[in-house]
Amino acid sequence: MMKTKKTYALLCLVCIALMSISCVKDVDFDQVEDIVLTPVFEVDFIFSRFDTNQFVDPDLDPSIIIPEVVVQDTLNYDLLGTDFVVDNLDRVELTFEFRNTIQRSFDFDFGFLNAGDQRIGPSFSITANAGNGPGTEPVVTTEVIVLDNATINILGDANRLVSSIRVQNVNSGLQGILELRSKGTYFINYEL
Amino acid sequence: MRAVIYLSILFWGSCVYSQNKEMLYDFTDLPQSLMSNPGADVNFNRHFGVPFLSQFHVNAGLRGASLHDVFADDGRSINEKIETTLNKLTSNDHLTLTQQLEVLNFGWKSKKYRDVYFSGGIYQELDLIGYFPKDFAVLAYQGNQDFLNQPFRFSNISASGELLMVYHFGYNKKVNKKLTFGARAKLYSSLLHARTARNSGTFTTVETPQGNNIYQHIVSNADVTLRTSGYAALRDISEDANAQQGKEIVNKLIGRALLGGNLGIGVDVGVTHKINEQLNLTGSINDLGVIFYTNDVETYRARGNYVFEGFETPIQFSGEESQNFLDELEEAIPLDTLSTSYITMRPLKLNGSIRYSFNKYDDGTCYSCIEGEDPPYLDALGVQLFMQFRPKRPQYAASLFYYKRLFNFLRTKVTYTIDDYSYYNLGFLLSTHIDKINFYISANNLLDYTNLAKARGTSVQLGFNIIM
Repeated sequence: MMKTKKTYALLCLVCIALMSISCVKDVDFDQVEDIVLTPVFEVDFIFSRFDTNQFVDPDLDPSIIIPEVVVQDTLNYDLLGTDFVVDNLDRVELTFEFRNTIQRSFDFDFGFLNAGDQRIGPSFSITANAGNGPGTEPVVTTEVIVLDNATINILGDANRLVSSIRVQNVNSGLQGILELRSKGTYFINYEL
Repeated sequence: MRAVIYLSILFWGSCVYSQNKEMLYDFTDLPQSLMSNPGADVNFNRHFGVPFLSQFHVNAGLRGASLHDVFADDGRSINEKIETTLNKLTSNDHLTLTQQLEVLNFGWKSKKYRDVYFSGGIYQELDLIGYFPKDFAVLAYQGNQDFLNQPFRFSNISASGELLMVYHFGYNKKVNKKLTFGARAKLYSSLLHARTARNSGTFTTVETPQGNNIYQHIVSNADVTLRTSGYAALRDISEDANAQQGKEIVNKLIGRALLGGNLGIGVDVGVTHKINEQLNLTGSINDLGVIFYTNDVETYRARGNYVFEGFETPIQFSGEESQNFLDELEEAIPLDTLSTSYITMRPLKLNGSIRYSFNKYDDGTCYSCIEGEDPPYLDALGVQLFMQFRPKRPQYAASLFYYKRLFNFLRTKVTYTIDDYSYYNLGFLLSTHIDKINFYISANNLLDYTNLAKARGTSVQLGFNIIM
């Protein structure tokens, strides 16, 4: 009986020892504070296609020069407006790519409006280089506009995007196509 | 967002195994062995579990990673460790958590038929499984820039969770000297249930050199469903500012526990076959059943296709008024809330074992045996197999075990288990039988107990019984 009690005591000790050594070590949960999510999202921005035929009547006498054609548009755009974006978006790189076969250069402008249709933040301009006429390789103009954190904070109230395209001295003899393609690269920096 | 991230960390961190109870299975010294095999070869006159204390079982595990992988204090940046872990995990890796608490457990030998043992009781069960949503974790952590033209699959999203009460009654009969058969009827009352599985569709950012814009963002054949029951009413209570929220929620849950929830039925079936006096074969099926979700059901389902290629501006040829992007998305992939009833199978579990007993206790004094019965074998060796059906694919486990009856009042079992989580899982069960009072405790993954952070999971069971 003595022996059994000893064995029992021993087993209990083993049990207690097992429980007391069961622990979590070599880990530091304070590291949670250091977690930073830095995903990079590529999202299409705007696109457009300018065909001279659509803006100048081909039957018009080529000797008539239209001094300036301007097309302007606004659209709902509040991708920058949420708190999450304003707080955690480090920067945005807007990449624009123009492909032009029209023998004129184009001025492209865009900016943002708030709910009261007031312009906020900076306006941006890009000049798309003139092309070499229909049937030729398009002339490519690429430009990257960086919206830094300060600009994004200003644009937090934006809910509309206004853009325009402007070309000068157009006549019916002018042929070709201007294409605009663009994307935004959103650099998120989210700290837990 | 923050909550999602904390949850994912918890998900990585907390650990769960399957519902495998390799230590208790066929440990016929304990009445709880009847719960995993109603046909266990037990020899009690009656038993009574101490209410709320007869069995506490918790089982946690993570397949694919451990807490240590992410939180190791090794000088490396945690973001680097998360990235390494993220790359290592696959969408088949999962977290499981099972917890059971016996409210009541009792049993008695039939007076009329001495070879029949009845048992019954009530237990509460919490069962969670979440598969690692690899594709969307990558999307959230790294973005889509490095994954152009690669689909993010909605099929990655798969999880289920349930809180329920189980009322059961079992019948165990020694058909003859060689065969013991048992069955247990179960009535389930589900307090809360949520499940998302068999989702399909993809989200892809495709480069389109010839397209309208640089990319196309394509949601293709999306079909994502989340079924819930028992959730909507609780949400309504918590949104009602006038209600005494805590009290009402508790009352509601108690009502559901007392058969006021979504009800279901099921059975356990099991056998023990004695090939000869020393060799035993057992097998059992647990929770072959269904729950009918008819009350307080809310199913959310989003289906559709959507292509986004940016905004057409300033020159529009389509002539369409530029719409709000989110409105367009909602129109293309509408989220429906349905309240149609549904049925879900309980996670079916299969157990089997072969056991060889030896070292019969026989010193002529019958110190270790129960009156009127053969002296017991003091040692046994064997193999056990376990399988559980899960939303994506079954989980398996195989164990070697060694049973040792050290003294009449002290019986132990050691198991070595190979399963989805690890190849070196050592378990230990200790059961004391002093007079009629029984206490047992078991735990597995003992090799990792010195540092649970490195463990892929752990399981603990303990309880008190009165056995006569």
